[in-house]
Amino acid sequence: MALSLAFHPVNRILSSDKTNLEGEVLTVNINELRDHLLEDHRLESVDLEIVYPGDRCRVGYVFDVLEPRAKAPGDGPDFPGILGPLAPAGRGTTHVLRGAAVTVVDGGQPGGELGYASRRGGVSKVLEMSGPAAEASAYGGLAHLVVVPHAFPEVTRHAVLNSLRLASVKAAVYLARAAAGKTPSYTEVFDLDSSALEQRATAPRVSYIGQVHGHQHGTETDEHILYGGNTVGMMPVLLHPNEWLDGAVVISYSWGARGLETYFHQNHPIILDLYRLHDAGEIVLAGAVATVSSDRRDEIDRNSMMAANIAKWDLKADGVVLTKYVGGAPHTDMFETARVCEELGIKTVALVSDTALDRRWESATLMNIPGVDAVVNHSEGVDVSWPANQVERVVAGNPEVVSKLAQLRELVAVNVCGVANNQGASRLRSMLV
Amino acid sequence: MRVVHYINQFFGGLGGEEHANIPQEVRAGAVGPGRLLTQLLPDTAEVVATVICGDNYAAEHLGQVTATVLAQVTDAHADLLVAGPCFQAGRYGIAAGAVCAAVHQQLGVPSVTAMSRENPGVDLYREQVYIVDSGDDVGQMRDVLARMALLGTKLANGEDPSSPAEMGYFPKGLLRSQFVDKTAAERLTDMLLAKLRGQPYEPEVPIEIAEPAAPPLPVADLSKATVALVTDGGLVPKGNPDAIPLAFAKVWGAYNIADKEALNAEEYDVSHGGYDNRPVRTDPHRLLPVDVLRGLERDGVIGGLHPEFLSTTGNLNPINNSRRMGREMAQRLLNAGVDAVILTST
Repeated sequence: MALSLAFHPVNRILSSDKTNLEGEVLTVNINELRDHLLEDHRLESVDLEIVYPGDRCRVGYVFDVLEPRAKAPGDGPDFPGILGPLAPAGRGTTHVLRGAAVTVVDGGQPGGELGYASRRGGVSKVLEMSGPAAEASAYGGLAHLVVVPHAFPEVTRHAVLNSLRLASVKAAVYLARAAAGKTPSYTEVFDLDSSALEQRATAPRVSYIGQVHGHQHGTETDEHILYGGNTVGMMPVLLHPNEWLDGAVVISYSWGARGLETYFHQNHPIILDLYRLHDAGEIVLAGAVATVSSDRRDEIDRNSMMAANIAKWDLKADGVVLTKYVGGAPHTDMFETARVCEELGIKTVALVSDTALDRRWESATLMNIPGVDAVVNHSEGVDVSWPANQVERVVAGNPEVVSKLAQLRELVAVNVCGVANNQGASRLRSMLV
Repeated sequence: MRVVHYINQFFGGLGGEEHANIPQEVRAGAVGPGRLLTQLLPDTAEVVATVICGDNYAAEHLGQVTATVLAQVTDAHADLLVAGPCFQAGRYGIAAGAVCAAVHQQLGVPSVTAMSRENPGVDLYREQVYIVDSGDDVGQMRDVLARMALLGTKLANGEDPSSPAEMGYFPKGLLRSQFVDKTAAERLTDMLLAKLRGQPYEPEVPIEIAEPAAPPLPVADLSKATVALVTDGGLVPKGNPDAIPLAFAKVWGAYNIADKEALNAEEYDVSHGGYDNRPVRTDPHRLLPVDVLRGLERDGVIGGLHPEFLSTTGNLNPINNSRRMGREMAQRLLNAGVDAVILTST
């Protein structure tokens, strides 16, 4: 399976009467895109805004961030099972608008929920475009097309969320289709079988086991996560690294999925790093396993056993990298999987997230399992904050959030989209001192 | 960079144990090890004042000695306080820890000291103060001062020191978020490769394998036992009278169920941000099985159901806090003569 990513750098997005990619400038026919998104009859209106690095602009609450990508004509559907018809992702050519992003805002519902923040009451995921918070975010340096869909008041919450998801993938594909037929600035090929390096014959086999969702807060029937499925009752499955990178999986809704965005499924830092090591002959990237965390003990045990079994007997892995879904409870599933892997003789390394409010070691000691002793600790940033820049523009889904975000005096890292990340993109480490 | 230095009577050249009762005195400039410290600090740094005090005097007049050091640091507009190194000297270590902690906490001026692992000052002050591991060999004075100078300079410049292992200080047992060069993904693959190749690696969380807790003895005669229900699933009466938060709860509540054969969903709410509350909101017995316990009571399987249940939120709760609430709950149940508890979680 070979995936060719054709990269087209973008440094400007401009509103125009024609959607086109000219050099590094993406022009967008805003009205055409709006009409395209409003084909979803659950939506009453859609605001579209363009924001740049350095703009004194704040955006919230973020539903998801995606990289604009579109399959080359004839190479298969985009986001199969979610947007396009079901077909395998991860093959052929995909055009990528590098440097651009589609950011979708959850405006909640008039008179009802205010989006993800509403259940916790505080501030939720904010995209900041200027100042130190923007510099610390993986998204602060991108040109964003911000999509703010407004559903009709009578649309139920799960259907609103479903419409946000649909708008997100439609907008990402719409923009990237401007690159079809254009010569990419460079191309990268992802093919596990492309070259037979001699040193790879003796290199260790390494797999990735990642949670694509957590059922901790419930899952909607019409929630798209993996090839359009909502993962309820899902057992661990083989998911080729190329499928992971190419639209088979998007993030789920759960509580704003803090520290998870589809952008880092498309640019999965762990899969990309394992590919790099594979291409250098230091490892054999033996494949990847997608799993979920559960709120049921029997499922935790079953999923952990099966994920470890696939890694051991199907992928014949010597080592695995494990990551979890957002939150505290999914650590349990990840560590149980790691425990079974170690029992089967597979070396493990796991990524945990630190939210310890008292900032004491003992609160960071999540699991103590013999053998599971290689743990990387990314901080969710509860103890990191910046003074909030005065902003000239706030893009949000409803007036209440606009005024809240305009008045922010402080930005805590945990709320700044793109600082903490459960997919391995974060440079914010929790240090033991 | 302006430095104030605290040393004891011995290193201050005033004499040994027989002079341990000498009160604190202030000298301009560097004295004793302070001269070596000056050489090891950057060229722009200067030890501007030295406070010398007898070990006994400091132990008996810690407040007074601390006040003198605070005044010196303030008057000298110091950027850093260095105390010691104290090696194994216990009274010296405790005084050094106290003045370092006070200067840092009250004036916001960074401080650094050094002691050997056995020095009682380490356990007393390691959480509050950067304490360099000096070992117990006074012959290593130069090396120890060099590490203190390096760490102190970093602190005075407002930089975050790197890990305890790299900088040679005793771990404070605290967590601090810091931006690093490598992403988590790169650190994961680095660590996995090291593990696969049998090379050393340093986990980023403390790995301490706890001894399994011994199970308590069974209840001797359940048919005579009063059984209580306790939950950390956040079940509260409608209106949440104790304002138990969704996470990081510092409070717990006790709620009367004496006259309840079962729990009516309309009278209860859930305050817990860590799980899908909907099944419990629909039927509180999914979390707190009062209905089943009443049946066991009627059948004589248990002596009786305690007339109140205790509840809090376990979500994201620091261990210290959980321990305290656990003790408080246990005491309330003991006082009420409860024999056994069923703990329900989420």
